[in-house]
Amino acid sequence: MSKSEKKKKNKFLFELGLEEIPADMISPALGQMCQGFEKRLEEACIDYGSIRPFASPRRLAFLVEDLPDHQPEREEVVLGPSQSVAYDEQKKPTRAVEGFARKGGVAVADLELMETPKGNYVGYRKKIPGKSLSEVLQEVLPQVLTSISWPKNMYWRESRFRFIRPLRWYLALLNDEVLPFEFEGLKAGNTTRGHRFLGAPDIQVLQVDDYLDQLRQNYVLADIEERRAKIAAEIEEVTPKGLHISSDPHLLETVVHLNEYPTLICGSFSEEFLKLPQEVLTTVMRHHQKYFSVVNEEEEIQSYFLTVINTSGDPEGKIQKGHEKVLRARLEDSAFFWKADRKRRLEERVEDLDLILFQEKLGTYRAKTERLRTFCSGLSEDPHLDTAALLCKTDLTSDMVREFAGLQGVMGGLYAREDGYPEEVWKAIYEHYQPVSLEDASPSTPLGALLSIADKLDTVVGCFAIDIVPTGSSDPFALRRQAQGLVKVLLDHQLDYSLSHLVELAEKNFPAETKDKEVREQVLNFLKGRVRYIFQEKGIPYDVLNAVLAVEIHGVYDAYQRAQSLAGIRTDKDFEALAMAYKRTKNILSKQSIELSAVSQESLIDPEERALFRAYSEIKPKVDNNLENGDYVAALKQIAGLRKTVDQFFDKVLVMTEEKKLRQNRLRLLHDISQLFLRIADISEIVQEN
Amino acid sequence: MKTFQEITHNLLEYWMHYGCIIQQPYDVEVGAGTMHPETFFRVLGSQPYKVAYVQPSRRPTDGRYGENPNRVYRHYQLQVILKPSPDDVQDIYLESLRKLGIPLEQHDLRFEEDNWEAPTLGAWGIGWQVLLDGMEITQFTYFQQTGGLDLMPISAELTYGLERIATFLADKESVFDLPWNRELTYGQVKQREEFEFSKYSFEVADTGLLFELFDLYEKESLRCLEEDCVLPAYDYCLKCSHTFNLLDSRGAISVTQRVGIIGRVRSLALKIAKQYVQEREEKEEQISV
Repeated sequence: MSKSEKKKKNKFLFELGLEEIPADMISPALGQMCQGFEKRLEEACIDYGSIRPFASPRRLAFLVEDLPDHQPEREEVVLGPSQSVAYDEQKKPTRAVEGFARKGGVAVADLELMETPKGNYVGYRKKIPGKSLSEVLQEVLPQVLTSISWPKNMYWRESRFRFIRPLRWYLALLNDEVLPFEFEGLKAGNTTRGHRFLGAPDIQVLQVDDYLDQLRQNYVLADIEERRAKIAAEIEEVTPKGLHISSDPHLLETVVHLNEYPTLICGSFSEEFLKLPQEVLTTVMRHHQKYFSVVNEEEEIQSYFLTVINTSGDPEGKIQKGHEKVLRARLEDSAFFWKADRKRRLEERVEDLDLILFQEKLGTYRAKTERLRTFCSGLSEDPHLDTAALLCKTDLTSDMVREFAGLQGVMGGLYAREDGYPEEVWKAIYEHYQPVSLEDASPSTPLGALLSIADKLDTVVGCFAIDIVPTGSSDPFALRRQAQGLVKVLLDHQLDYSLSHLVELAEKNFPAETKDKEVREQVLNFLKGRVRYIFQEKGIPYDVLNAVLAVEIHGVYDAYQRAQSLAGIRTDKDFEALAMAYKRTKNILSKQSIELSAVSQESLIDPEERALFRAYSEIKPKVDNNLENGDYVAALKQIAGLRKTVDQFFDKVLVMTEEKKLRQNRLRLLHDISQLFLRIADISEIVQEN
Repeated sequence: MKTFQEITHNLLEYWMHYGCIIQQPYDVEVGAGTMHPETFFRVLGSQPYKVAYVQPSRRPTDGRYGENPNRVYRHYQLQVILKPSPDDVQDIYLESLRKLGIPLEQHDLRFEEDNWEAPTLGAWGIGWQVLLDGMEITQFTYFQQTGGLDLMPISAELTYGLERIATFLADKESVFDLPWNRELTYGQVKQREEFEFSKYSFEVADTGLLFELFDLYEKESLRCLEEDCVLPAYDYCLKCSHTFNLLDSRGAISVTQRVGIIGRVRSLALKIAKQYVQEREEKEEQISV
């Protein structure tokens, strides 16, 4: 038998049982638990094979295989007194070193001389036997559990330990034996619990490998992928022929984690509700009831819904009937709102915005509306934009939006359409909250884009002005998201408003008395940070980003084009060399004061500096022209063409000559050349690959 | 088929057998069972307590003149406080549903995240709404703070929506069709009340007078505190809260006022809770509100 075969491979199964975890928190917590466990195994020098995560609303679990019996033996160096203290002049051990040896239980003869950065010391090597796997696991588990962080947690016992919901049991099996382990008043055992109503309350797991099967027999599918697959298959099965569900990945993810034994059923509602806008129907079903809506091939909504129930089936149709009843009541409410809200036109609701607070210091939505109108008038004179700005917040006074906050904007658009406003107006209102995330689409219309920018920037600037600024994980007004949305709209619509112009326009709307301070610079920096984030997401390398953002941003779309051009040319040999040369130039220029004026041709005496000046003068109009047209690739290529002349210049010409006049002239030449780049980027930020 | 009053009775009986004190509804207008002193004060401090009661709860903005099948001005909550919360609290709760005759294995029941919060009382907790075939029938909360004070031990609060459970069991579309007993429906008993209170809170209430009352109640509450009458102070705090709700349903509260008024009620609640705890600690009293 070979040595490696003799080495026993261990398995460890751990299940944390608790009361129902909020569905959206399960995946992140499971990830933290498994990664935390892996990290601590690695720190403890324990090898492991695979780790398989499992979870359901009432449990987070994992199975680790190929664990060794022990930690490896390790060696620790124990240092004693320094060499000079350890031995006297006759090289005999002193009392100090004898004491050290005695304390460590080693013979003085076995001590070694060890070199350290602080000099030579006397010491010995100590073998430390590895702890058993069981010991390590017992140490590690409490650390893992304590380190899981939750968005909102609670106390439930006197120890004041915080967790998402109360802990109720642990299953901890090391090769079919219970791992003795205690945490927060609970002892680990070999039992788990089945489905609340269909399974056994106590299930003994005698073998690690039986865990999933035993749970399955008790109507718990602990394998997340198995639940996902069951849901996907049953969606196919129960959806009426010729129809499909409206795609909703987030809802799908939620229902995967909301059920221990998911089963799909299809219910229906009265066709009279199809008179309601599709957006309302979908929101009622999704938001309140977590139902999938059903559409035909034209994506038109149908009078069916799919729901995932947490049980094995509904043979008598009782559950379906119950869900249909609840949905009917909800739809009746919505139909009532839809009817009642349309009794008043949106323009009649503008005054009601006086009663709705945007933010205590920033005033009501009426005040915000006026700010949006002023801001928009600075961007465009289109009267439709002004109408859209005037009406865009009025749906906050509607019953429908009071009930379904997620429909804000959308309802305003739909009501404006009902009121007979032209498409430019109602669409702008409909879309002005978009994009709500980086995945969400920007508004599809030009006016929608402008209104979206106005709305977001007003919030960002207003909040900064009263010192509501995102810090770490705290961002109550979701300013990061707002700013990202703003940047995304500017990019998607290829708008070249300069950021500073936009911020200035928005800030003017906040009179001095509503502001704690001037915030233009602060907001610009914040927006720059968001630009950086979005560019990174789009795959722009960080050094290119640094280079582009080191010069003034102007328009976001323009900056993106500059970044893309720079990213494309950065590996070009000529460009790399030029970037190096530029670093030198920048270095020289930063230490010198230059009296700015035109380069004097008469004072260019060396042939290399004359050549450089000629080359520069030749490309400058072309570069200018290309910059003007936004053709940054061409401009960068032209500039990169200077490489040889620049290299020769630095080889042969002494910039820092004693003669002031010549020196100044050379500095001016270098300055002018660097100005060519600086319209695009500070290329000294580019990091050379080798 | 179980009548509305039988359901109420069965639940109270269940919790009585569990060992709860059966209390009566509080006789001051409240918006929720949580505002009953049997919850507000009992969850403070360290004394164990178990109590159950029905609390008629007034929500002026929910009034629909008795016309909406699912919304009413005054609905009935059945509230249970278990302090400290037992380890098997969820099972005990589920057993109460079985006792009502709901075969849980034939239904879709789940606990979905829903963290309850009452800003005017400085109270919040962590928990779920309990959904039965998609209908919310109970709010289940582990109380974390009341009157702005951290709680320990933690109480479990179960708030059953009696109308919801009854419409489920009776399989009715409208709460007004529920049998109250074998002779009368919920509508026959309640419709007129629903109409009049809706009319009052949306159309009739004298907002000028209500603003004055609010000020007077607040003043009296503060005066009670100075005289070490914490419980009477709380009554006036509840009156402030209800008066605020009435003004709100009349649309009489502007934005700036709104924030201010909520803040005033909250500030009363915080003072009351603080003084209650201080006094009880000083006297080291056993259970006695």
